[in-house]
Amino acid sequence: MTAPITAPASARAHRPARGRSFPPLRGLLPLGVLLGIWELTGSEGSPYFPPPSTWARGLNRLWEAGTLRPAIGETLVTFGLALVVATLLGAMLGIVVGALRKADRALGPSLEFARAMPPAAMVPIAALLIGYDEKMKVAVVTFAAIWPVLLNSRAGVRALDPVLLDTARSLHLSWFDTMRKLIAPALLPAVLLGVRVAAPVALVITLLVEILTRVGGLGALIALSQRNFLSGQVFGLILVAGLFSFVVNGLVAVLEGYTFRHRPR
Amino acid sequence: MASPLRSRPELTSVPTSDVTGPAYESHNLSVDLDSSEGARRILTGVDLEVAQGEFVSVLGRSGTGKTTLLRVLGGLLDPTADSTVSFRGEPVEGPPEGAVFVFQNYAASLLPWRTIERNVDLGLEGKVSKPEMRQRTAEALALVGLADRAKDYPWRLSGGMQQRVQLARALAVRPSALLMDEPFGALDAMTKSSLQDELQRVQERTGATIVFVTHDIDEAVYLSDRIVVLEGSPATIGHRIDVDLPRPRHQLATKELPAFLKLRRAVYDTIVDVHGQAGDVA
Ligand SMILES: Nc1ncnc2c1ncn2[C@@H]1O[C@H](COP(=O)(O)OP(=O)(O)OP(=O)(O)O)[C@@H](O)[C@H]1O
Ligand SMILES: [Mg+2]
Repeated sequence: MTAPITAPASARAHRPARGRSFPPLRGLLPLGVLLGIWELTGSEGSPYFPPPSTWARGLNRLWEAGTLRPAIGETLVTFGLALVVATLLGAMLGIVVGALRKADRALGPSLEFARAMPPAAMVPIAALLIGYDEKMKVAVVTFAAIWPVLLNSRAGVRALDPVLLDTARSLHLSWFDTMRKLIAPALLPAVLLGVRVAAPVALVITLLVEILTRVGGLGALIALSQRNFLSGQVFGLILVAGLFSFVVNGLVAVLEGYTFRHRPR
Repeated sequence: MASPLRSRPELTSVPTSDVTGPAYESHNLSVDLDSSEGARRILTGVDLEVAQGEFVSVLGRSGTGKTTLLRVLGGLLDPTADSTVSFRGEPVEGPPEGAVFVFQNYAASLLPWRTIERNVDLGLEGKVSKPEMRQRTAEALALVGLADRAKDYPWRLSGGMQQRVQLARALAVRPSALLMDEPFGALDAMTKSSLQDELQRVQERTGATIVFVTHDIDEAVYLSDRIVVLEGSPATIGHRIDVDLPRPRHQLATKELPAFLKLRRAVYDTIVDVHGQAGDVA
């Protein structure tokens, strides 16, 4: 019998994950209820579980002192810059490693080793090498966020159907056009999947680095508040970080939904 | 419908008359491919000549090297150094201008992020002017009966329609030869016969040379001017069968002709003869 040699698989390979729009806000309802109960039952002076109203006061104090806004800005810059660098670098390395067997053999073990290094352990090294500054933060966060992008891009390249390349050759597309019109769009879902995994990692590591090194940002502010026993303020800042991550995840989902609006689901 | 008022659609690039001689010519064509035990000879001493405008089918059991032969003709695969392969008198080194491949796996060959129209544009972009591209794409889509789906996405279409899109994309570059690797192999019988007739019509109107790989004996006899059978390991052309059935052909009338049945039988016998069983083909 004529078994189809290759099942028409590309449609499946291009299928982006579900969740193509901003998550509905009503999912936050249980959290709201919990906070309400906390507010009603908590006591003002508790050093461990200060009720939400004290969080608001703490945040308000920071806002009025003019420290909250720049801290959010710094965290945002570190996070955004690191994610962009991780995406570009990770996609490039992933594509090279995925396309060239030799590169894979030469770099594979080192990549596996580097991937297993906990990013938090990188902080002292990076601080020694680069110093306690913004560059060090970006370097550490990039190092943490690059792996999902790199590994997904590599998998994407390996899953490319050779028919796509034959098509380009048979239609006399230039190397550049083949990359731009076929390979890049075909790899986009894999790269974006990597970004979706990398974004929350980047945020967590950004905050962690800031808490550990006190070099600016929300994390440094959290560490400072904690040292001064301003527990309401600590909770307030953690809430801000949570909202931040909620917005970031939502934006990545929206970006994916927009990019794949014309692709099979 | 040979009215002088109705001009023939200009879908063949190069007028077939300015080059005389065969479209394809191969002498002593051999191919080595990598296997686990080093290079393995897949094809050996294939001498094939395909005339301009001829429809040649390649039959043979699974794994004999039909796809391999077609890829060599399409310039997608290099034969051994002592092989000679030429297309319209020029040696084939890389995909030749004027010969386009049509893959069995249409879904992998079409770009799901482009509309049907933009898929058909792919071979024209940067090579012809915008208005000409629009016109050629529209013409090609009309030729395969998909003019009304131009703005749709390929993955919204049935398999048969997607294969039509691939055919339209090939036709839009106005090739003088089409290399088709089991193009209808994944389609159901009804869709298959309607596409066979569409392909006949296209060839009638464009005068394109077609080399067509298939497993289906009926399909090969129905469509071809000539059938070649690949046999052996490494494979070579074991049988050549001329199919001199009148054209245009019809799914029912042609297939009821005694000549059709005789040819079908003859092809079948060569294959049964060769392999001792027919199960591998068809
Ligand atoms: N890329 C490749 N590298 C090495 N060997 C290959 C490659 N592609 C095919 N072959 C081998 O070459 C032989 C011929 O393969 P080919 O695909 O040309 O057969 P085919 O006649 O088209 O088969 P089918 O009817 O199943 O499509 C097979 O034995 C196959 O194992
Ligand atoms: Mg094949």
